[in-house]
Amino acid sequence: MSAATHAPMDLVAIRPQAGTQAFFRHRQVGEHVLVTNFEGNFLLLTQAEFTRYATGSVAPDSELFTRLSSANFLRASYDVRKAAEAVKARRGFLHAGPNLHILVVTLRCNETCIYCHASRANMDRVDTDMSKETAEKAVELALRSTSPFITIEFQGGEPLVNFAVVRHVCEYAGRRARELGKQLQFTMVSNFSLMDDEKLAFLVAHRVQLCTSIDGPEQLHNAQRKLPTMDAHQRAVHWIRKINQRYIDMGLDPTLYHVEALLTTTAASLPLWRQIVDTYVSLGCKALFLRPIDPFGFADRTRLRLEYPRSAYLEFYRNAVDYMLELNRQGVQILERYAGIFLTKILRGEDPNFLDLRSPAGAGIGQLAYNYDGKIFSCDEGRMLHEMGDSRFLLGDVRTSSYRDLVGHETVRAMVLASNLDGQPDCVNCTYQPYCGTISTFNYKNQGSIFGRMRESSVCAVHKGIQDYLFEKLAARDPHVLATFERWTTHRPREHFVQEPTSSPTTSAPPVQSPAEP
Amino acid sequence: MQSSYPDIPAGLVAHDLTDAAVELRVDPAIYPLQAVYGAAYIFIDRCYVFLDRPAADALRVTLTAKSGQADVGALRALIGEFANELISCAWRHQITQDNRVLLETVTLQAIAGAMGPPSLDDLASFDFSDQGFDDPLGIAMSWEEKHGKKPPPATTSEPTGDTTGDTTGNPTSGHGVEEPTP
Amino acid sequence: MTEPAFIDLRFDRSLYAGPAIDEAVKVFAAHGEFHMSEETDTWVVKLRALRPGPARTRRLAHELANYALGLTVQRGGA
Ligand code: SF4
Repeated sequence: MSAATHAPMDLVAIRPQAGTQAFFRHRQVGEHVLVTNFEGNFLLLTQAEFTRYATGSVAPDSELFTRLSSANFLRASYDVRKAAEAVKARRGFLHAGPNLHILVVTLRCNETCIYCHASRANMDRVDTDMSKETAEKAVELALRSTSPFITIEFQGGEPLVNFAVVRHVCEYAGRRARELGKQLQFTMVSNFSLMDDEKLAFLVAHRVQLCTSIDGPEQLHNAQRKLPTMDAHQRAVHWIRKINQRYIDMGLDPTLYHVEALLTTTAASLPLWRQIVDTYVSLGCKALFLRPIDPFGFADRTRLRLEYPRSAYLEFYRNAVDYMLELNRQGVQILERYAGIFLTKILRGEDPNFLDLRSPAGAGIGQLAYNYDGKIFSCDEGRMLHEMGDSRFLLGDVRTSSYRDLVGHETVRAMVLASNLDGQPDCVNCTYQPYCGTISTFNYKNQGSIFGRMRESSVCAVHKGIQDYLFEKLAARDPHVLATFERWTTHRPREHFVQEPTSSPTTSAPPVQSPAEP
Repeated sequence: MQSSYPDIPAGLVAHDLTDAAVELRVDPAIYPLQAVYGAAYIFIDRCYVFLDRPAADALRVTLTAKSGQADVGALRALIGEFANELISCAWRHQITQDNRVLLETVTLQAIAGAMGPPSLDDLASFDFSDQGFDDPLGIAMSWEEKHGKKPPPATTSEPTGDTTGDTTGNPTSGHGVEEPTP
Repeated sequence: MTEPAFIDLRFDRSLYAGPAIDEAVKVFAAHGEFHMSEETDTWVVKLRALRPGPARTRRLAHELANYALGLTVQRGGA
């Protein structure tokens, strides 16, 4: 049931009285009032409790007083040190540089996807292949990051098209990381249609974590991701099963080691929430990320066909996650990643460092994207905008830029400022501010400035809608749901994907985590 | 220019259909100039934007749609979006001032955390001759420059009266030019 | 054929930076004829496009004003 079906609270009648409360923000969630404080603690109060809190009439010997006090909502007992520790824990990511380095090894792709436009080229465009020399320079920059853990993500186009460079990077970066004492992992996003046994043997031997795209059931997938043979889904599924079996044969735990699949939610996906979840479960996936489509990489005309109102998306989200919770109740383990990210922040007070959903966001300070020609961008969306003719997020070139030039670039500084929710109208007053994030490139593309306007932003609408849903579930206190949420925030490291032990590990913290694998 | 839109108070907005232009009067007591600049800048890809002061206590923003789309609805939508951006910029201006320390601290930490200390290669390629080298504490100055060499005695044995030790003539500069930013 | 007419662009000195206007005029110099003057509160740029047509002169004025505003904002204001 959505929050809108409950009668709104009569705020005027409350006559709030300042004085006893510490700083807080509030929002009605179903029949409850959610309050959050500066450092991100939350309480779900009944309307009567909220009235007592807002009017400063909570009896000191009451249970409510104890609850408010221990969550740091009262001025008299406000524990500054505890608050500072909590903020530090939430913003731990500020102390290290980019950990995600996206290598676009080619723009060429053998599939034609209806939503992909600017980030692909036809198969004869060999001029859009990254050279080994460019790749080595990109790796050297990536390994200069102050982050002790580096992930190199192979992207395209279709990275298997330029497999020689993928192979070279795995060998070169692996060796350099060992020399430099960095922990390194590789991931690859591929449609698998050009996979063969030899390539797979190399990728598995080099511990490359494999991800693919699955748009849902076969018919939908093949209609959206077109191969001349019209069998994109069959090919992807064939390799998913084969790779998952390979992990089992190697003695790896299949709940942790399996192909990750990524969904692109188009208008056609919305009525198919159940089939999409079922497809993912049947493929052995333990996670599904219900991300709405974003405006990068395709023409405006295409966009009109694929886009949908955010309210339709939120209904899709609620239906799909309700269904996933029901499956979990029956013993099937499947998690929704958006929920996992938000719940980790809400329930654990930690930040899982998802780069598009933190404050400030990760562009430039958490990730860098290296294009096939050596140009470097703050993020992959910035690179896509460049392919569409707008180079606003171009930071430098592997041949001429130093690492410090890139992360200290004025564009990066501006993006850090713009994506800090403490400076953002609306967010400063939003109850969800401690858990939220904004995306500068999205704001820029849609609203003309890297700041954007949250009231009119579809990303904000999605963030609000998802958090409303999660807090409604938390308020309902269904023990099964709470247990599932608890599992969704339990992180288990995927150590197998970390490259061979380094000569001098910088820290013992686990680098690669499977966000909340069950 | 023709006025006006029924949903906007009289005299605030007017449009000119021949020129695909629409103008908005802004009260500078409500909207700081920096907010007007901010909103205007965001529109220069879609519009020709012109600012002027039709009266001492008013600012006027004129937007001419580059698309040439000149129907009343399109111009109404344009000025509406501008007004939304303007209020957003004005509020952000205020928040940025209120939260300045927090925002600067986080930005500084983020960039410093990502950059790390300079390597020897970085230092080797650093241009120390840069004109913009900022030396508020006068560390790079010679003793004489910093504290002022006593000029040679004048023809008489009277003291010159120059005891400030300040080459710039600014009596405070010995303490650094500014307070450090918090 | 008659010469294209001049139009006056009057930039308020409290809103536009003088150097930004100078720079903008330099950038568009090849496209028009410009005469600059100063009044107490305004920078005045009298201009017309080199190629005939009132629409061209208007477009030139618009582009010049946008450019000057962009530079003014980048400088942090007038
Ligand atoms: S982006 Fe939206 S939901 Fe998130 S903090 Fe800002 S206003 Fe709230």
